[in-house]
Amino acid sequence: MNTLIAQLKFDGRRLILRNFSFQFFSILMPAGFYLLFTKVMVSGTVPMRFNLQYMASMIVYSGTISALFGIAQILMHDREQGLLQWLQLTPTGVKTYYLSIGLWSMVMNALAIVILGGLAVVFNHVSLTAGQWLTIVCVALIGQLPTMLIGVLVSFINGAETLSVVSNLITFPMAIISGLWWPMAMLPSWLQPIGKLMPTYFVNNWLGAVATHATLNATTVIGVVAWIGLLTIIAVGGTRQLLKRGDGVVKA
Amino acid sequence: MATIIQAEQLSFSYGQHQVLNQLDLTIKTGEIIGLIGENGAGKTTLLNLLLGTRPADSGALTVFGQAPGSLIAKQKIGSMLQGDMAIRGVTVTDLLTMAATRYPAPLSAAKLITDLDLTAFAQQQLTALSGGQLRRVTFALALISNPDLLFLDEPTVGMDTNAQQAFWQRIQALKAQGKTMIITSHYLPEIEQVADRILLLQDGRFVFQGTFAALQQRYQQVVMTFQTTLPVTTFDHLAGVTAVTSRHQAIKISSEDGDATLQALVPYLAQLQQVTINRESLSAIFVQLTKGAKA
Repeated sequence: MNTLIAQLKFDGRRLILRNFSFQFFSILMPAGFYLLFTKVMVSGTVPMRFNLQYMASMIVYSGTISALFGIAQILMHDREQGLLQWLQLTPTGVKTYYLSIGLWSMVMNALAIVILGGLAVVFNHVSLTAGQWLTIVCVALIGQLPTMLIGVLVSFINGAETLSVVSNLITFPMAIISGLWWPMAMLPSWLQPIGKLMPTYFVNNWLGAVATHATLNATTVIGVVAWIGLLTIIAVGGTRQLLKRGDGVVKA
Repeated sequence: MATIIQAEQLSFSYGQHQVLNQLDLTIKTGEIIGLIGENGAGKTTLLNLLLGTRPADSGALTVFGQAPGSLIAKQKIGSMLQGDMAIRGVTVTDLLTMAATRYPAPLSAAKLITDLDLTAFAQQQLTALSGGQLRRVTFALALISNPDLLFLDEPTVGMDTNAQQAFWQRIQALKAQGKTMIITSHYLPEIEQVADRILLLQDGRFVFQGTFAALQQRYQQVVMTFQTTLPVTTFDHLAGVTAVTSRHQAIKISSEDGDATLQALVPYLAQLQQVTINRESLSAIFVQLTKGAKA
């Protein structure tokens, strides 16, 4: 437990307190988007349902950004700097490290929910029960797992520039085609079935259902669970392979 | 003394490239081993096998009586590998404090910072440190577990002269405490002061294992220089002579048996001026050995 607490302190300082870009992209940008699309770039009265659904979308978007621009870059940086290999040589290994990074990512996501929720309440007069808010937090945290795992996979890429390009190529198309930025109905009909397979689509649907009291479709939950299962297998296998290969340690 | 490391017929290759070839090695408690060899000789690969980050292709290897990478080994080994961690947003104190929590009986981070004279930059972020400062932090990281066995891979690269001196003083102190160490280096003179035994690795094999004295006795040449009007061919076939070079009237003789060559020179002494006799530098031995092994 002491090791985990120390790792959390270590990561909290470097990832949150001393990392403005992480805060900006994970929280401030989705918050800005929310206000832009629900208050600034609208005319007339915006339906409450849209305010709720768009809040859910921006929570998912925040988690996606945090995973693909935060976690992926952090993991790659730590691997390139040899931190991962050093931790592997210690008696407590790398598990607490991954747990700490995951927990901090979830904390950031929870913070994003508080800020986005606060904006929704203050500016759009959204009103949800305590039970709904609690469910939103739980679903958002579970729903962040697929994108966190994608972040882990993307971190296997060598080179900061390549990683940035790949993160961009995944994040923004995935956000657009899964309906996070604007309603899916606005997309070409051939693109919509693809968007409906994205992990962010399932999570967005789930959160939207909680926020708007809509009926939750079973395929939504199955979709999230399936993505978590599939990506966990790939990410765990990939990480083991990477550590086994000893990248960054061996220089003959 | 107990055996800490035991390797028998240890081999490792990257694809078709044989990096380590049937190495036998025994290291006992308190020994300081100087592991030397050119770039690519397999020094770091051997360390990685000892650390358990890579499995050997064949052969037997135990560290503290167990397979490399065991929990016991991880608790007792401190390693200063090549490459330093310049992690963004992390200070020296942050890193050492976190590192200390990962071992059962660590040294205090604060005390280590004081002892290793890191106080001046202890609150600075790692990304703001110079290469030499980072190397010193990596050394502190290797010591934080209070290890019984230390792997030091090219430890002084990037350090300035003062830092190097402080580093070797610290190594002497650790030696006095009975710590076991394997130190890799390209530079023989700096490990001469501390190493009990030298292992010279060349093309995946140990081409020499022994003390520095044995190394010198076996390989160190005596160099004699003088001025003379005698033809250079006079000295070619004297006892012990391995090489003769001349420039104008200055002659330089290399000998593998200084006493024999000196005796053979006695008849000519009256015609020799400005005579100097020296032993070849340790660096020259290193070059000679590595070239010789390659030839």
